Amino acid sequence: MKTIQKFAFILGAATVLFSCDNADNNSPDLPLEAILVEDLAAPNDLIDRNTNQVLEVRPFQYFSLEKNELVAENEDWDLAFKGTTIRVNNTKNVNASIVTGIFEEIKEVPASATFATDTETSFAIPTGSGTGWYNYNSATFTVTPIPGRVILVKTTKGNYVKMEILSYYKGNPPLEQIDPRTTPSAHYTFRYILQPNGSTKF
Amino acid sequence: MSRINLNKIKLLLSLLFCTSAFASVRDTDKRIVDVSGNPIAHAVVKLEGQKAIFVDELGNVTVQNPSERIFIFALGFESRELTWDEWLAEKEIILQEKSGILHEVVVSATRTERSVEQLPMPVTVLDTEKITQTGGIRLSEVLREQTGIQITSDHGSGIQMQGLDSDYILILLDGEPMIGRTAGTFDLDRISVSNIERIEILRGPSSAIYGSEAMGGVINIITKPSKNRANLDLGMRHRSFNSWNPFLEFGVGKKNWSSQVFLDHFKTDGFDLTPETVGQTQNPYMASTGQLKVTGTLSDKFNVSIFGRGYKETSHGILEANGNSGTQILDLANNRTDFNLNPTLRFKPNTDWTITLRGMTSWFSTNAVSKFRTSNGIFDLQEFNQFFHRTELQTDFMANPRNLVSLGLGQQIETVEATRYDGSNRFDAGYVFVQHIWDPRERINIVTGLRADFHNQFGSRLSPKISGQYQIWDNFSWQASIGAGFKTPDFRQLLLNFNNAAAGYYVFGANLAAEGISRLQEQGLIAQILINPVTIGDLNAETSRAINTGFRWKPTPKSQVHLNAYHNAIDNLIETAPIARLVTGQNAFSYFNIRSVVTQGIEVDAQIDLLDNLSLSAGYAFLDARDLEVIERIDNGEIFKRNAQNQTRRVTRADYGGLFNRSRHSGNLKINYQERTSGVDLAFRAIFRGKFGFADLNGNLILDDEREYAPGWVSFNLTASKTFGNGVFLEAGGTNLLDTVTPAQPNNPGRVLFIGIKIPILNLIN
Repeated sequence: MKTIQKFAFILGAATVLFSCDNADNNSPDLPLEAILVEDLAAPNDLIDRNTNQVLEVRPFQYFSLEKNELVAENEDWDLAFKGTTIRVNNTKNVNASIVTGIFEEIKEVPASATFATDTETSFAIPTGSGTGWYNYNSATFTVTPIPGRVILVKTTKGNYVKMEILSYYKGNPPLEQIDPRTTPSAHYTFRYILQPNGSTKF
Repeated sequence: MSRINLNKIKLLLSLLFCTSAFASVRDTDKRIVDVSGNPIAHAVVKLEGQKAIFVDELGNVTVQNPSERIFIFALGFESRELTWDEWLAEKEIILQEKSGILHEVVVSATRTERSVEQLPMPVTVLDTEKITQTGGIRLSEVLREQTGIQITSDHGSGIQMQGLDSDYILILLDGEPMIGRTAGTFDLDRISVSNIERIEILRGPSSAIYGSEAMGGVINIITKPSKNRANLDLGMRHRSFNSWNPFLEFGVGKKNWSSQVFLDHFKTDGFDLTPETVGQTQNPYMASTGQLKVTGTLSDKFNVSIFGRGYKETSHGILEANGNSGTQILDLANNRTDFNLNPTLRFKPNTDWTITLRGMTSWFSTNAVSKFRTSNGIFDLQEFNQFFHRTELQTDFMANPRNLVSLGLGQQIETVEATRYDGSNRFDAGYVFVQHIWDPRERINIVTGLRADFHNQFGSRLSPKISGQYQIWDNFSWQASIGAGFKTPDFRQLLLNFNNAAAGYYVFGANLAAEGISRLQEQGLIAQILINPVTIGDLNAETSRAINTGFRWKPTPKSQVHLNAYHNAIDNLIETAPIARLVTGQNAFSYFNIRSVVTQGIEVDAQIDLLDNLSLSAGYAFLDARDLEVIERIDNGEIFKRNAQNQTRRVTRADYGGLFNRSRHSGNLKINYQERTSGVDLAFRAIFRGKFGFADLNGNLILDDEREYAPGWVSFNLTASKTFGNGVFLEAGGTNLLDTVTPAQPNNPGRVLFIGIKIPILNLIN
């Protein structure tokens, strides 16, 4: 991880300083910090386009939302990235759900959200264009996160996270500057908010 | 010099010996003829206060009782009103053809010859002169200058009309449907312009007489007719990108038989808009066309004609492929051939009946090979073979001068074999259509049509259409038509069996979805079935309902304004949708009738002759084309966009730019000037295409961001031409003189300069 930026409102920071014990308080008074993760590189396997054969298997990149860092496979990772595929840690009972809406407006895990974990045959965050977090444009050969798709994750610690993927290209370039032939892909930029108290509210 | 004119003597004698009684009988015996003196056999003479009288086969009519006023009218001709004295004074009553222009006759609109002015539906006719003015060599270059028409680039140069893509526009060659589409596009570059007599552009659905494909309109290409005399014309055109186009027209004709041979060859080096990448935008290609037309009069009642056309195109190029061992160069070689045979037998037992038996047999095939340059191994090989046959019997019955009824019966066979389709596939269809052309009153024309199609795959389908015209004033007529159109799913949507190995997805035609999914299931590749394939397969025709209305107005004798407004509601559009998720995370897709689209707009053409040698015309088209499902999702707040600061917000209706690749505004300005002293004709055209959606960039798949538009542009074109007294024709000019190019328009090569010559050899010898 090259840089981890934290967006914290000054008010939020101030509140942290004077925070009281919120265990008896269901609705968090603290505005939670949105964490921006930039350029998480997760290159896909090398595949021969003609034969569909995998020539070189590359590893998943295991990420802990709780720690906001890459971790080893045997540690408590929440999400694993490789190419456009995002796995959730089904051995540690991580669940995910995709909802439609505006990141800031999602103040709470909606009752309608259906959480699932990865199985042998399915991903909690579906892959494929249009079905999960991205659209693949076959005219421009570009992978673009679908605006308004928010991924909800229940972490290894049972905390809820709302997460929005912003870019699949290195440096989170403006859309018009993406050239799929030259701009390095499989570089995730995303932001997320983790509610550490286990409540469903953000 | 001392020859005696016998006619004059006869006339003199008759004048000398005739009695007054004899003269009066003769004076009431008249002949109704057109400007060239041919009898108009369907004319009607109406005397005030008396019953209408039909003329006989030779245009003769006898009026017994005098009347104050006499009206003479005939379909396709300007009516005349005469006093009794005027009637007596003329021996032959000449009627002017209604449009005033002889070749503004339209065949495709009603399948019978009608003048444009009589047609209650929007029709544009491009005659030889207008075609020549464009300097075009391929058909796309002529059509792109017409109001409301765009040439799109998707597996060839396709026509877009009333916001509908090439898939929904029927292309006719001498009235017979042309086959051979790639990904739905009929490539207009397959048609050479050199021997086209005229082009009819019929807007709005015409399935009521043509069935499938004629959903957005019809383009009828009419090749030059064989003449009853010998001619041998040689031509050569040269233009930028090392393009050469020699052609030859050879005709022989006797009294009853004539034949015309046309040979055309086109060769170009192609062009490249993106020199930084390997491979050209348009690859070098060669195209040869050969045509033979034989027409004969067997008797005064039987006509026969045979039309044959062959086309062969080869192109080659290179492409870069990313393989395991880095990038590799691929050599591409593509072939495309088509062949049509079209015999016609026409029986005209009398002036009221015409019976036409037509056949159309076509073969179309493509072959595309790409090979690795280093190993010479085959990377990809695609073949496609299509066969089409149609037999049709059409009967036209002129019940009286105001009613013309046509009845058609037809049968069709279509087969296809292709690399991506399994086995050989055959479709059978039959149809019957009936059409009634009715002029209930002098200023009213009504055309009603109904066609029933029976298809072994899609069942039966009824397509009605009614069009009406009312001539409100002598210089103003108003038209309206309501009609239905349809398009049967194409082969790809039914039969495709495709696996994109590179991306790992599958696409199955509707007929193969169930089978394909069960095969993938056996192989253990399916993670989850999204739509039960048993329920797939009933792919229906795409349908449209449309209204067209407008007017034709002649503010002055030297100016005219045509306007047409339209609304097309298109349903059951076929799209791919995932039917199963694979274990790889990719999807398998099939085709469904899911989309609904609306296209609407206004098209205006105005023309004025400012001077004898200077005319001006302007055209403007407004187009609004949108996807109704997208609108619904916007209204439900389900579509979002992100700005440059990565803030997400809901897309509003105001953000939505409609369908991709449609220009909201387009137009043209044309000036035609003949320089008097040199006799050179100058045709200057400015063709404007407004900005249009190019591709989704922000991931929500709809057009809603300024960056997703390609900029508008203007092409300035100039053609100078001169026909010498001996018939030699010379031309020179250029298109897109400002050299404006955009990657969003890969069929626009930039500035093209051209010169050409056509020599009528036999004219020069004689």
